[in-house]
Amino acid sequence: MRLQGKTALVTGARGGIGRAIVARFEREGARVYAADLTETGSISNASAAELPGNFVKLDVTSEADAINAMQRVRADVGHLDILINAAGIEIEKTIEDTTLDEWNRSFAVNVTGTFLTSKHALPLMRAAAQNGATASLINFGSYDGFIADPGLAAYCATKGAVHALTRAMACDHGPEGIRVNAICPGYIDTPMLQSFFTGDGSGGGGKSIDDLQQAVRDVHPMRSYGTPDDIANLVTWLASDEARYASGQLWILDGGLSAQVQQMKL
Amino acid sequence: MTQDIAIITGAAGGIGRAVTDRLLSDGFGVLGCGRSPRPADFPGAAHWVQASVAAPAGAAQIARTAQDLGPVTVLVNNAGVQIEKTVADTTDADWDLLMGANCRGVFNMCRAVLPDMSRYGGSIVNIGSISATVADPSMALYNASKAFVHGLTRSIAVDHGPNVRCNAIAPGWIMTDMAEDGFALADDPAKAMQDALARHPVGRMGMPTDVANMVAWLVSDQAAYVSGASFTVDGGMTAASPLNPGLF
Repeated sequence: MRLQGKTALVTGARGGIGRAIVARFEREGARVYAADLTETGSISNASAAELPGNFVKLDVTSEADAINAMQRVRADVGHLDILINAAGIEIEKTIEDTTLDEWNRSFAVNVTGTFLTSKHALPLMRAAAQNGATASLINFGSYDGFIADPGLAAYCATKGAVHALTRAMACDHGPEGIRVNAICPGYIDTPMLQSFFTGDGSGGGGKSIDDLQQAVRDVHPMRSYGTPDDIANLVTWLASDEARYASGQLWILDGGLSAQVQQMKL
Repeated sequence: MTQDIAIITGAAGGIGRAVTDRLLSDGFGVLGCGRSPRPADFPGAAHWVQASVAAPAGAAQIARTAQDLGPVTVLVNNAGVQIEKTVADTTDADWDLLMGANCRGVFNMCRAVLPDMSRYGGSIVNIGSISATVADPSMALYNASKAFVHGLTRSIAVDHGPNVRCNAIAPGWIMTDMAEDGFALADDPAKAMQDALARHPVGRMGMPTDVANMVAWLVSDQAAYVSGASFTVDGGMTAASPLNPGLF
């Protein structure tokens, strides 16, 4: 077990990727705090008892919530080895169609949420990074922080911000033994992705959802989407002691999608 | 007054020819070179030498010819070959031909002009490619050779400043004879072109003059503080996700 004896907190823990990470961390021997808006989340009918991790109520846009969540960890354990900032939202619009509220909400969750949770976790992570051990903070960037998907302007911008924040935090907190990395997923089969496909009806050229999904899969060198477990595999490695020298990097996990140039049909 | 001389490799057609025309009009003396004899339509004001950059002796001959004309303050390494194969299909002869022109040729030319250029100052522009960072399928050695070009560009900038500036350009799809041949081979050339256009935010394919414009700027005093950089000229193509256009 790679994370035996470690304490982790995962935000967005009831989302598609967050839930896979929490379950995996528990299997790897970690004590896991599953932080999200509600105990059961909105994407499944599972009861609280069936869901992994110790639930902590956390609206990442609320500083009071961040402080309360970390106070709980401090009281229970006294330190935090691993923080996963997985909470995120996606607005599927161009900037002209995006309202100021939507823009602010995107930044509040994706950027300010990463900031607030990290800010209040750092003292606990510093406490974990003693005697040569490192603590691991993992943000969620995106493939969209590098190259743009159409009609996702605010999302692309927030993920670019997370990438820059990741590097800045790695510089600032590396000397304290805290490693900071970002995972940059491509197309991962989650409720967020399904929402992207069923979305606002703006695209698809009349194609069925199935045809659309197959067309997107076919563009990938691996000819498939990733799964939340694919993400959890890399997150687990980055959280583990094997990754003790890995910091400040943006880890793209996209089935090779961004390695290729536009696939023109010649 | 002695005219500054610009060497342009692979000057016979496409981007090389557009750079030749532009630097002539910007007042440079131009020495074009290529493996073939001087093209019939090559501008009368420009000089030509037939030599291969892949051979050190060829590169030295080009540099000597240029230095006899005047101070060589500009080198544009444009010569390159493209072989459409995967690693598994590539032969040793393919390697020698492609790496000879695209990698060793750039190295040979830089090495040949740097001693003089370091004394009186100058600007080297290497033509790399967007393929250096994102892979075109079945173009393995070409893609890798262009990554070499961008890497060598940074090293020359670091090692040979302050007198020499060295930058690279990463063109996307530029409509040259090579690209037009590709579209002609499509099952439905018109549809292929429509598809290609949809992947370009600026709504058109690149022209050789688009690259020549960037070369002209990079070798001008406007770019006096620019060195070791790579500039993408691709109509926005690589800024977008490589999904089928119009999918969403």
